[in-house]
Amino acid sequence: MSNNKEVALDLQGIDLHYGYVKALDGVNFKVHQGEAVALLGDNGAGKSTLLKLMSGVHRQTHGTIRVHGNEVSFHSPKDSAKAGIEMVYQDLALVDALDSATNLLLGREILRKGPLGWLGFIDKKRMLEEANSETERLGVKIANMTRPVEMLSGGQRQGVALARAAVRVTNKPKGILLLDEPTAALGYEQKVMVESLIKRLAEHGIAVVVVTHDLPLAFSATSRMVVLNRGRKVCDIETKKTTYEEIVGWITGAKEPQKDMD
Amino acid sequence: MKKFDSLSILVFIRSWGITTLLVLLWIFFSIWAAPIFGTLENFSLMLGASSIGAIFAAAIAMGVYSGALDLSVPGTAALSAIIMAQMIGAGMDQGLAILTALFIGAGIGALNGLIVQTGLNPLAVTIGTLSITSGLAAIVTDGLPLFEKLDQLAWLGTSIYFGIPSTFYVVAIIFVVGTIFLTKTRGGIRFMAAGGNPEALRRAGVNSNVYRLLGFILSGLLAAVGGVVTSAYTSQATPAAPTSVLFDGLTAVALSGLALSGGRGSFPKVWIGSMVIAAIGSGLLIKGIQSFWTTSITGALLIGALALEHVIGKAVAKQAVTKSNVSAHKDVKKAEVK
Repeated sequence: MSNNKEVALDLQGIDLHYGYVKALDGVNFKVHQGEAVALLGDNGAGKSTLLKLMSGVHRQTHGTIRVHGNEVSFHSPKDSAKAGIEMVYQDLALVDALDSATNLLLGREILRKGPLGWLGFIDKKRMLEEANSETERLGVKIANMTRPVEMLSGGQRQGVALARAAVRVTNKPKGILLLDEPTAALGYEQKVMVESLIKRLAEHGIAVVVVTHDLPLAFSATSRMVVLNRGRKVCDIETKKTTYEEIVGWITGAKEPQKDMD
Repeated sequence: MKKFDSLSILVFIRSWGITTLLVLLWIFFSIWAAPIFGTLENFSLMLGASSIGAIFAAAIAMGVYSGALDLSVPGTAALSAIIMAQMIGAGMDQGLAILTALFIGAGIGALNGLIVQTGLNPLAVTIGTLSITSGLAAIVTDGLPLFEKLDQLAWLGTSIYFGIPSTFYVVAIIFVVGTIFLTKTRGGIRFMAAGGNPEALRRAGVNSNVYRLLGFILSGLLAAVGGVVTSAYTSQATPAAPTSVLFDGLTAVALSGLALSGGRGSFPKVWIGSMVIAAIGSGLLIKGIQSFWTTSITGALLIGALALEHVIGKAVAKQAVTKSNVSAHKDVKKAEVK
């Protein structure tokens, strides 16, 4: 389905050894622009490790990573950010005392027009409008844009962090978004919001990789699923061609690995 | 929000508690220390007496906002004042002397910041700078205070314009410009963000080190202003670093409702905090009570203010989360109806 689209991120033959432990063993992984891929697996299967390779936190022992066809070598998360990869970290990285709108627009604040703007005066009204229109476009609900984020619940904070990453990634051409357990702290409505956000970002042409334990989210929001088991890729399949039972079988290891992947 | 629920009371205490405390103190002392305390003359005296404390409180607040307690403030003040006094004593232009002092203060701040950014503990580094600067100030003057020609600074230290002491004009400029900078400008917002969560700023593509450095520079600059104004007020420059300003300043900052954790706080309330300390000092002085009491009360205020902020901060966060959840649910329901 997505084979005719441009490859955003391409990992080939990835090995990662921690001493004698093989955390990842010959993994190939691809994501195309405009595609949302779920990266699934049990605890310790290597899915978060793989995500950390893509975001520059870890480095592979063997194998190559290509971004938009160019081979890259990430030494830090900064390098991956430069390559257009946006990661939503679980610690969220929000400034607690600032409100949601300012957090969303941090680093690209809107200045007043005229001499006050030259002095660095910000335009709070226009910043609020911009934050509202950006989150609306993405279908993200934030309860109160002017409330300091320290006064929001865990789920709402996660909403702000997701919205910020989503806004940043849609502002770049060919953005790549990595999400690590985006629904871990969320209530029902916010899960629905994350689900539609992922779909919408993919429609915008963003490449999305979601690491999750949340199978309903994976089935409803992504178009392809990759399952890791003990550091190996055991399946890589279009979401509509598989079932819960099959995926659970691959995750637990009850089902034989898929043949001729890639 | 309807009527008075417990959340709005807590939020009220958080946002108006310090101002209420100041008003209550004024009323209390106006009655207890009547008739002297409540007069306009005494108010004017208090504005003047609180000025130096307020300037040093501003210096400490800038450090705290950027995420570091700058303990070198008294040393920076002493060294820059001594150098200014020497220049004035040698017959140089006082404008040039004052500018030099401010430049030295900012320079010491920048040095602190650069050293801290190599990864050293800011408390230890600024204690080191405190010793270095106060030592240097004493070396320059052989440990003696300087008086010569400092009465030239009366326009800044002891004059009264329109019934208001000259030192208060300095305070007003610092707090007005500082508040506008912190709340209305991009630089101020990033400055606060760097103190609150430098990682968030870094991920937004902004160099947070620049803004943390700015905190030390502002702290050093304001410390030098404090040193200059102190010399103008007392017509002498002493090489002994006035370490008590650290404690008063820190108390004023704590009274303003800061958790002392960086990245938050209201700058005007720092001034109100220093007025609270000045009011207590003035009231007790009028009643002829020994000034040691003021010291002890200031200490109790510091701990009390921090404890209150701790309790209120927790309670507000807890209740506000419940409330914002409710409003988010409402939003979703509305959306579904559409």
